Amino acid sequence: MLFNSYVFIFGFLPVVLAGFYILGARRREWARLWLTAASLLFYAWWRPLNVLLIAPSIFVNYGLSRFLEQTRQTQPRAARMALIAGIVLNLCFLGYFKYLNFGEQALNDLFGAGFLLTHIVLPLGISFITFQKIAFLVDVHAGRVNHFTFREYTLFVLFFPQLIAGPIVHYREMMPQFQAASCRFDAENLAVALSLFFFGLAKKLILADPLGRLVGPLYDQAAAGTPQSMTDAWIAALGFTLQIYFDFSGYCDMALGLARFFGIKLPVNFNSPLKSLGIIDFWSRWHVTLTRFLTAYLYMPITLTMTRRRMARGQPILGARDMGVSAFVTMLAMPTILTMLVSGIWHGAGYTFVLWGLLHGVLLCINHAWRLIRPRIWRDTVSYRRRMAPVAFLLTFLSIVFAMVLFRASTVSAAVILWKGMIGTYGATLPQAVLLRLGPVGGLLLALGVQSAWTSGSFLLTATARIAILLFIALALPNTLELFAAYEPAIGVKPAKTPGRLLHLAAWQPNGTWAIGLACVALAGLMSLGGIHEFIYWQF
Amino acid sequence: MRPSQSFLRIWAVALAVLALLVGTINLAIDPYEVFGTPRLPGISLFKPITRNHALLAKTFQVARAHPATVLIGSSPVHIGIDAAAPVWPSSMRPVYNYGIPGAYETSTSLLTLQEAVAGGGVKYAVVFLDFQNFFSPENPDPALEQEERRFRYLPNGTPNPDARMQRAKDMFLATGTMGALIDSLTTVISQRRPNVLNLAPDGSGTEADFIDAAHSDGIHDLFAQKDVFEAERAQKVTPVMAGWQGTLPDMDAVAAIVAFARAHDVKLTLVIAPHHVDALELYWRAGLWPRVEQMKAELTTLAASRGPGVTLWDFLDYSSFNTEPVPAAGDRRTQTSWFWEPTHFKKQLGEVMIQRMFGSDASIFGTQLTPGNLTAHNARVRADRQTVVCERHSVVLTAYVTPAGSEC
Repeated sequence: MLFNSYVFIFGFLPVVLAGFYILGARRREWARLWLTAASLLFYAWWRPLNVLLIAPSIFVNYGLSRFLEQTRQTQPRAARMALIAGIVLNLCFLGYFKYLNFGEQALNDLFGAGFLLTHIVLPLGISFITFQKIAFLVDVHAGRVNHFTFREYTLFVLFFPQLIAGPIVHYREMMPQFQAASCRFDAENLAVALSLFFFGLAKKLILADPLGRLVGPLYDQAAAGTPQSMTDAWIAALGFTLQIYFDFSGYCDMALGLARFFGIKLPVNFNSPLKSLGIIDFWSRWHVTLTRFLTAYLYMPITLTMTRRRMARGQPILGARDMGVSAFVTMLAMPTILTMLVSGIWHGAGYTFVLWGLLHGVLLCINHAWRLIRPRIWRDTVSYRRRMAPVAFLLTFLSIVFAMVLFRASTVSAAVILWKGMIGTYGATLPQAVLLRLGPVGGLLLALGVQSAWTSGSFLLTATARIAILLFIALALPNTLELFAAYEPAIGVKPAKTPGRLLHLAAWQPNGTWAIGLACVALAGLMSLGGIHEFIYWQF
Repeated sequence: MRPSQSFLRIWAVALAVLALLVGTINLAIDPYEVFGTPRLPGISLFKPITRNHALLAKTFQVARAHPATVLIGSSPVHIGIDAAAPVWPSSMRPVYNYGIPGAYETSTSLLTLQEAVAGGGVKYAVVFLDFQNFFSPENPDPALEQEERRFRYLPNGTPNPDARMQRAKDMFLATGTMGALIDSLTTVISQRRPNVLNLAPDGSGTEADFIDAAHSDGIHDLFAQKDVFEAERAQKVTPVMAGWQGTLPDMDAVAAIVAFARAHDVKLTLVIAPHHVDALELYWRAGLWPRVEQMKAELTTLAASRGPGVTLWDFLDYSSFNTEPVPAAGDRRTQTSWFWEPTHFKKQLGEVMIQRMFGSDASIFGTQLTPGNLTAHNARVRADRQTVVCERHSVVLTAYVTPAGSEC
């Protein structure tokens, strides 16, 4: 069931909310059980078989967690073995459904192994659920989770607002909220929730989806081997970057809103990533909970292991005065690239995602290296930040856009065609009709080597206008977290101490102006329903 | 009352009022002609948005029109044949133009004919056939198949179980969606444009797009653009046709149209639609002319085998109409009389064709094909081509697309 479907908005959600409030008024435990059952129905709606696949995994993980809880102090060795078994089991579960075909394909490509590829239907949201269960096992083993029941565990795993595409949450940040929630109608929560939900719906359906319909054919053409002119290649790259931006931003807003209907606040997952001034900054704003998971459960353990090894050998570590290239490579570059490789593979089973992850890993390393080197070259940090911010922004933005081509292209060769197009290998063309209307400017462009083509002028104008508007929204306007900051839309979000003038004027308030404005946004979103428009991140 | 409660109350009321307002606007303007709301001058007289929703609009229109004659085909029919032309014999009126722009499949013609006949009162059907369709097997087009779900009958003639739901969906989408609202507003704004595109209640389209393009880009560019498209199309089908055995693709669909017309007592006129000499020459040079003659032969046999209720007209020949010179590149003033570009004829030519088929015009343009005159007709067309192309050198544009070789 999609968040942006009639059945969800006009059927599932009102019924679940009504049941939750009615039952919550009598007994909170009933409301929580109702929420778990509703989440199970939500998950089964797409394909009932999904429940049969995920249920055993929940039972096994719960059993292992119980075992870890009981043995972590008394039998640490057994607990460690159980933890490893749990992680391996979850990764195998994920690996079978998501990566078996890719692995076999890769072996076929590399060694001509001749594996026959079978069609395996991916259980919905398996990547998110798996990471969440692994995080829970690790937290129990580390003693960060001390008491839990089966009912609480299932609610934590299945809570439908974040079940399919995150955010990836920790038990310790969710369960205290479930326990404290009144489970009753709360006008303020409802007002905030409705606003967030419909903001997200509008972002998805009005901003993201139309752009997807515009750029989709360009990626199809590239996949078919058709060279793309500079204009089309840039439309494809910028268009998809903005499509996924508003698609994921919309999803995150809707998830925040849906959780808030039940009095729950989710962690921040999306925070204007295109405003980033570096790739490190980007990953602290884009899919924040994934970054948090990978940092805590992959990057940090590797870095710590490396640090300990180097210290044991008496070698300099990161930050030391005599730190050399080897320290940078072993303690920063290698863990970073490995982590981003996992991130890439996690996003999708394909060469394009592997390369996308590696590319971001390399970009992160460059960013880290610059952070280490820069103070030696440009000592005054304040002046550096003031003068170089536009350059940093532009470099980051271009890197993100270039990398996003890999994320969307169906094959590496399609991505290469688009990259070559972006740098002008196939020349620059403009539709004949546009060139004619440009008058002397058209003549100048022709003289500069721009060629006329029998392509659609209205496509070029529509795409350019849409991209320009969405760039303005993404880069110049305050985001949802900032607008709703006074009402803590996500865990830990507080109002800025010195809000800008625009934010000061536009900040969300439960008043008549916002109610009418939101009614317009909600109606625009509701009226844009009526097709299958999956969130891009639902496929992971 | 707490601010949040007041917020929720205002929000709910505003949402309901706005939804009602939007529904009323969409219903009143009716941008897709779904409801047949009376057209208001200055507000909804012209329906430019139907450009991209012709099948939707026409399927609802035809149910209201109750025509005696229905015109079936693709964009050349939609644009080039005027259902309200004075040359239509009174016995054939009212006429409804059910030509669907972009309908490249002959099977769509069967579905539209079924749909028109299901409304009752249809006595005559004039089905225009694009010769290019006979050279490529039909490929499933998901977008078109989605559109065709609203037809009351399936290609095999059985009732379509999805039609009722699809039409309910159509009506909802025409009133309760953002797209409909934007299209309603666009409809109102477009009314004052000097050359606004329209869909008449009798299904006839306007030539507004071509008029605009002819003035801004010139007729030459329209021809050149279409020549490139048709040249690619011809190149694509050539290898398919090289090894083709048996009856041509799409002939089954035509046979089904003929059988349906006979079964429902509808007098059927099959028309091989006219094309400018540029288009003919592209297919000649691609080596496909024997296939064109095969198509004519198969259609002649099919029409003749079904008795007097079916006639076949061939306008795919050489005449003063389709050999008129094309203005030079850059010339945006000179206009053509009969063709907008190689595959789309003008309404004036449409009227000539109607007169030729259903009136007393005995001009040499167009021939009613029978088994008795087919061979002579084909020989005459070949001879005409020799004169037009090789002696008078009337074809100029295709030269740069498919260079002239030893064709002459």
